Amino acid sequence: MGKNVLLVDDSSTMRKIIGRSLRQAGIDFENIYEAADGLEALEILESKKVDIVLSDINMPNMDGISFLREKASRAAIKDIPVLMISTETGDDIIGEAKSLGAVGSIKKPFTPDKVNEILGPLL
Amino acid sequence: MRERIIESAKEIFSSMLMMDLSAIEETTTEAHPLVDSISGVIGLAGTHKGVLAIHLPHRVAIAITSNFLGMDVDAMNSDVEDAVGELANMLGGNVKAILSEKGRDINLSMPTTISGRHYDYQPNKDAERIFIQFRCEPGEFAIELQLEK
Repeated sequence: MGKNVLLVDDSSTMRKIIGRSLRQAGIDFENIYEAADGLEALEILESKKVDIVLSDINMPNMDGISFLREKASRAAIKDIPVLMISTETGDDIIGEAKSLGAVGSIKKPFTPDKVNEILGPLL
Repeated sequence: MRERIIESAKEIFSSMLMMDLSAIEETTTEAHPLVDSISGVIGLAGTHKGVLAIHLPHRVAIAITSNFLGMDVDAMNSDVEDAVGELANMLGGNVKAILSEKGRDINLSMPTTISGRHYDYQPNKDAERIFIQFRCEPGEFAIELQLEK
């Protein structure tokens, strides 16, 4: 059975670009779910089978850091890996994301090759 | 900073849009009315305060959005607004990375867009202003950064 991914970004354009980059990188997911913020992401994680999450950090309503914190507190979903895709590159913010369970980060802008290089080994 | 912004813009356009970009050397820094244009704006707050904006004629923004999405876009719509906001977001993130290595001492606002037939985008007289005109295949556009002195 194929794997499912959840893309979390308040920009619908960016969600489409990430989805296209996954296809261009040859990474084939059975289902690509989308959420516009951390709150929507939590709802999807509670109701769908998701194998990995690609999440932005700066988002309205619930940002990526708060999403990681909330997800870590929910037993049913806390072990689903999250890879951050963000313009944020600062050690403090990326370090905090990793301390809350993020398995890595990809800096925007990115290429399909970069997505493949970082995401590929996690699948 | 000017060179770093040019580098950032070129990186964003080459990696995300597959589009070459060149900075126009001879350019005015005076504010002019923007005609049939859209501006993506993002604020910086913290140890450095300021505003970054990217100003694109509608036809350039539509062409860039088409490249972004890999599909034909033929008119101004929410996809164009979202794409321009995301361009401002990526540029703002790069400026933040230049000004703040650790990342916690500067916060970025959510990107917003302004679009219209004729509008002014006035620089703050007390801010240091960097204004760069660019040329890409669909046409010219500008990026400006205002930082509080």
